[in-house]
Amino acid sequence: MKAFLIDVAKCNGCHNCQISCKDEHCGTEWMPYAADQPMTGHFWCKVEEKVRGSVPVVRVSYTPLVCGHCDDAPCAAAAKDGAVYRHDDGLVVIDPAKAKGQRAIMDACPMGAIYWNEELNLPQKCTGCAHLLDDGWAEPRCVDACPTGALSFGEEGALDLKGAEPLGPLVGLGAHAWYKNLPKRFVAGCLVDFDSREVVVDAEAVLVDEAGTEVARVPTDDFGDFLFDQVEPAAYTVRVAGRELAADVREKDLNLGDIALR
Amino acid sequence: MTTNVKGTPIVKGLGFDSFGLGANACTVDIDEEQDKILRIRPFHFDEHQTPEELNAWKLEARGKTFEPGFKTLISPLSLCYKKRVYSKNRIPYPMRRVDWDPNGERHPETRGTSGYERISWDEAAQIVAGEIKRMHDEYSPEAILCEIDGHGETKVVHAAHGCITQLLDLCGGFTLQARQPDSWEGWYWGAKHVWGMDPLGQQNQQNNVIKDISEHGDAVLFWGCDPETTPLGWGGYMASRLCYWFTELGIKQIHISPDVNYTNAVHADKWIPVLPNTDAALQLAIAYTWIKEGTYDQAYLDTHAVGFENFRHYVLGGEDGVPKTPKWAERICGVPSYTIKALARYWAAHAVSIAHCNGGSFIRSCFAHEPARLEVALLGMQGVGKPGANQFKFMEWTLFGIPTLDPLPPSVHIPSLGAAYRGYVTGTKASFIPKTMIPEAIMNPPVQWYGHIAAGFPREDQFDGPYTFPPEGGSRIHMVWSDSPCWETCWNGGFKMQDALRHESIECVVVQHPWMENDTLFADIILPSNTKFETEDIGTDCDSGQWNVVFYERQAIQPIGESKSDKEVVAEVARALEQYGGVYEGMLDKYLGGKTDDEWIKVGFETSGVPEDLTFEEFKERQYYAFPTREDWKDIPAGIRQFHDDPEGHPLRTPSGKLEYYSTTLSHYFPDDRERGPIPHWIDEGAGHQERQYLERGRKYPFLLVSNHPHFRVHAQHDDVTWFREIETCKVTGPDGYKYEPVWVNPVDAGKLGLSTGDVVKVYNERGAVLGGVIVTERIMPGAVYQDHGARCDTVVLGEGGLDRGGANNLIAPTATTSKNAQNRQQIGL
Ligand SMILES: Nc1nc2c(c(=O)[nH]1)N[C@H]1C(S)=C(S)[C@@H](COP(=O)(O)OP(=O)(O)OC[C@H]3O[C@@H](n4cnc5c(=O)[nH]c(N)nc54)[C@H](O)[C@@H]3O)O[C@H]1N2
Ligand SMILES: Nc1nc2c(c(=O)[nH]1)N[C@H]1C(S)=C(S)[C@@H](COP(=O)(O)OP(=O)(O)OC[C@H]3O[C@@H](n4cnc5c(=O)[nH]c(N)nc54)[C@H](O)[C@@H]3O)O[C@H]1N2
Ligand code: SF4
Ligand code: SF4
Ligand code: SF4
Ligand SMILES: [Ca+2]
Ligand SMILES: [Ca+2]
Ligand SMILES: [Mo+4]
Repeated sequence: MKAFLIDVAKCNGCHNCQISCKDEHCGTEWMPYAADQPMTGHFWCKVEEKVRGSVPVVRVSYTPLVCGHCDDAPCAAAAKDGAVYRHDDGLVVIDPAKAKGQRAIMDACPMGAIYWNEELNLPQKCTGCAHLLDDGWAEPRCVDACPTGALSFGEEGALDLKGAEPLGPLVGLGAHAWYKNLPKRFVAGCLVDFDSREVVVDAEAVLVDEAGTEVARVPTDDFGDFLFDQVEPAAYTVRVAGRELAADVREKDLNLGDIALR
Repeated sequence: MTTNVKGTPIVKGLGFDSFGLGANACTVDIDEEQDKILRIRPFHFDEHQTPEELNAWKLEARGKTFEPGFKTLISPLSLCYKKRVYSKNRIPYPMRRVDWDPNGERHPETRGTSGYERISWDEAAQIVAGEIKRMHDEYSPEAILCEIDGHGETKVVHAAHGCITQLLDLCGGFTLQARQPDSWEGWYWGAKHVWGMDPLGQQNQQNNVIKDISEHGDAVLFWGCDPETTPLGWGGYMASRLCYWFTELGIKQIHISPDVNYTNAVHADKWIPVLPNTDAALQLAIAYTWIKEGTYDQAYLDTHAVGFENFRHYVLGGEDGVPKTPKWAERICGVPSYTIKALARYWAAHAVSIAHCNGGSFIRSCFAHEPARLEVALLGMQGVGKPGANQFKFMEWTLFGIPTLDPLPPSVHIPSLGAAYRGYVTGTKASFIPKTMIPEAIMNPPVQWYGHIAAGFPREDQFDGPYTFPPEGGSRIHMVWSDSPCWETCWNGGFKMQDALRHESIECVVVQHPWMENDTLFADIILPSNTKFETEDIGTDCDSGQWNVVFYERQAIQPIGESKSDKEVVAEVARALEQYGGVYEGMLDKYLGGKTDDEWIKVGFETSGVPEDLTFEEFKERQYYAFPTREDWKDIPAGIRQFHDDPEGHPLRTPSGKLEYYSTTLSHYFPDDRERGPIPHWIDEGAGHQERQYLERGRKYPFLLVSNHPHFRVHAQHDDVTWFREIETCKVTGPDGYKYEPVWVNPVDAGKLGLSTGDVVKVYNERGAVLGGVIVTERIMPGAVYQDHGARCDTVVLGEGGLDRGGANNLIAPTATTSKNAQNRQQIGL
């Protein structure tokens, strides 16, 4: 069983995976594995980006999205004539000959990993570069081109899957694209004594949940900054220097900005 | 149907800095039968050489290990290149502008708007040769301006730029468009006067700096530095991996810039937003804090510096009555005084290095010499050269073949293909014009300046001159021949250049280029050149940070259309010149240097420095040779440790051999220069510039434009790659479906202006306007807006005061130089 392991903490957002996939599949057909991909508009591998926080605590999280090659693949279930099949090594492949006209295949994927080829009247998606693997390659193009090791590929048993999870829409479908360090939320702030115009170093900042339980505790650093990283989306309170500030990060990350010492 | 999955693997260097300096080694699989490029992928060093033969290095620090890996870390700018080769934008055959008749009306005024018709190669070569002959007869060779200085594909025998000058040198000369040290302006015109450091002005002894930081560093200041973008042009992702390595080691990464660049976005531990080109104020306030709190290294300055007292006097307000306090700086640079103090204290208490690529826009803006030399001044105050404290670069690790620029374990040799390079080699020319002065030189000669201008000259050259164009008794410009037609979008004051190209004095414009873009549309004759995939050549990659490598570049595909390599294009003209006899006799063979391509490739191979027992045939067979790591790499002193330990024994290249906080040379040569005096200062405004937000002009144009080097382009290159253009953040699709160049606007400013993501805005000043597509984002600080430079021109109204739809913001950048004595160039200020 082959699988992808994607550590988003190591993803620099370079788009090598997305571009190398296009380099391999646009304008070149690899029958019987894949018909050629349209020059633009398909993203068999797609780097998603999200800007988080506000000036001056801003970061960007990138998440490369690839087909999960699910055990219980809804796309396969929706296909007629066995147009979606499982390759020897477990990869889920759409047969370009049999799948013609079958829009239901595309509509079935819960994460939108399948794209419609207007010209060929065909649903298309990641093949796992099965044509290359069958030709002796150890990894598909996207993984080969990844400069940081954020993407890896191999026998599922040989990958270090500790702490890895499938993407939300594929939970329960037996997906074989595993993600590590998916972004959660952060709460940040900076403690300032505006009377002396100095940052406050080494003050305790405490993050408390709705039940009043302490979730985390950090000291402010040399710049007066504190950061609670990778916390669950929830409504919290930050206690710092005798102040209490609401920190609702259910929807998005929060930079509380400069907090005046009282 | 393609059945040949593997294809035939060949090697191509897909870096885009040209000048015969290769980079970004890629393996390219081709389908020979179908004459097609199959794929572009990383190149493997260990295909024919073992890790032992390469003397594979690793860094070990704090219980962790870093290894370079055996395949190149290429970027999407290389991976996408099929799209450039097969671009719809390729010029298929020679063309003539329809209303330009060499024997009749020439209509200079319709350049940029009129259409083209197909002509044969023979006709094109005849016309160009005829025009050269006419220039020689009616004027003088200097009447021909050669624009041959751009970046571009890295070809050697088929050089992208400068083949033209090989020909014109043989028949009397030409006027050279002399390229400024535009990448390093501030370092070149400023920092050099503090610490020597030729040729660029940035620290030129960087060996083992990464090892040193890994072992001893607490923090790295990324001061206008984006290793996730700018190393990609010619280096790849080693720099990215080093940022992850620093994070793994717990080395704090502090970013100082107006925007959240692509490195800040994923690696920063701290971002200090600073308003564009106000770094000098921030730097002065840091110096002030150290002086007031006694936290700088006076003992080091006593033995390593001269003139610190003068600088101290200025910082404390002795000269102008204004102490350069954090509060003073806050008003100018937008960094709160408490953050400035915190940064100053952190820096003084820790081992801190400063990282750059080339320095960013603040090193290319008006008065860029000031922040550049202030940075060196600050480094000196904390004992630069001590463990964990140097300045270093994430790119150009073997620039100019200098072995001390590599901060990673260096290879035993930096191969040079100079002997085979058929392009232009920098040097002095009898007739030349600084690039930024071209529009003036064409429309309003004479013009005057100091120095030879080009990057690479030693500090002393800045005092040479003045020079004048046209030279005594010489002709003004009447013909332009360009192989780097992106002046409009890459150089400041592009609208003015559009006027110059349509000026009545310009009788003929010839452009040779693979793609129909930018200045190409101003040509009277267009000659289609081609990409490196269509030729056979030799190349190197010395910028990967892994091992230096020299490779054979097989031809991948047949030329597209009727295109020829730049070398062959010029050969067509050389052949056509022969009919005139005299100096032109035998011109083709003289131009070709009496050698075939293969013979030139062999010259390159033989002089590159590969081991003697490797034959040319073997080399072509295995396609590459990689040079192993130096055996003694661990023993090389880190950075400028030797100067730190023994300043007398290892002096700097300044007149005193020390850090010069007061430059006696500047005070000697330019005693009245108020914009670049002997001591680094904060400069509010100058004759050519009123870019500060709090000055009168600033109230009219209140936003400062940050125009970085593009993430998804190399300057003007790659703008037509649809695989990038479809990325949401690469272009903004307007309501009319047009792909606009993004303009980042902070939500605070967007609120004031009533803008939202997807809107089309006009970015304007007194020089004209360009359009852009708004992205409202926290990635830019309030008061500044951001739009990359290098977008493809799509000009609606040509010339000064014009309007461009493509978003080529250099069209409206100021043309003035930083001071009359420094040919600086700058971009910021709306
Ligand atoms: N606003 C702003 N402007 C800037 C800067 C900035 O920071 N901000 N930075 C400046 C800097 S540092 C630089 S170096 C300049 C870059 O300016 P340039 O070096 O002039 O720009 P490039 O686009 O890299 O390349 C020049 C031209 O060569 C062409 N070319 C590529 N390959 C070939 C080939 O094989 N044959 C031929 N004939 N042509 C080829 C390209 O298409 C392009 O038209 O821009 C400067 N402009
Ligand atoms: N992808 C890609 N790579 C390239 C190039 C390219 O065009 N594209 N061009 C190549 C060339 S010729 C060169 S010279 C180098 C250029 O390399 P650099 O000079 O390092 O690049 P820039 O993009 O100009 O600036 C780097 C960063 O400076 C910051 N910055 C901008 N303005 C200011 C300011 O006023 N103050 C401070 N503190 N920071 C500021 C921004 O965050 C920006 O990301 O890159 C080379 N590599
Ligand atoms: S991710 Fe979507 S396309 Fe891929 S196997 Fe699962 S259901 Fe099918
Ligand atoms: S495995 Fe192949 S087809 Fe799938 S995303 Fe990666 S490169 Fe594209
Ligand atoms: S290639 Fe790797 S680092 Fe680059 S975007 Fe894809 S996953 Fe991220
Ligand atoms: Ca100190
Ligand atoms: Ca090296
Ligand atoms: Mo440059």
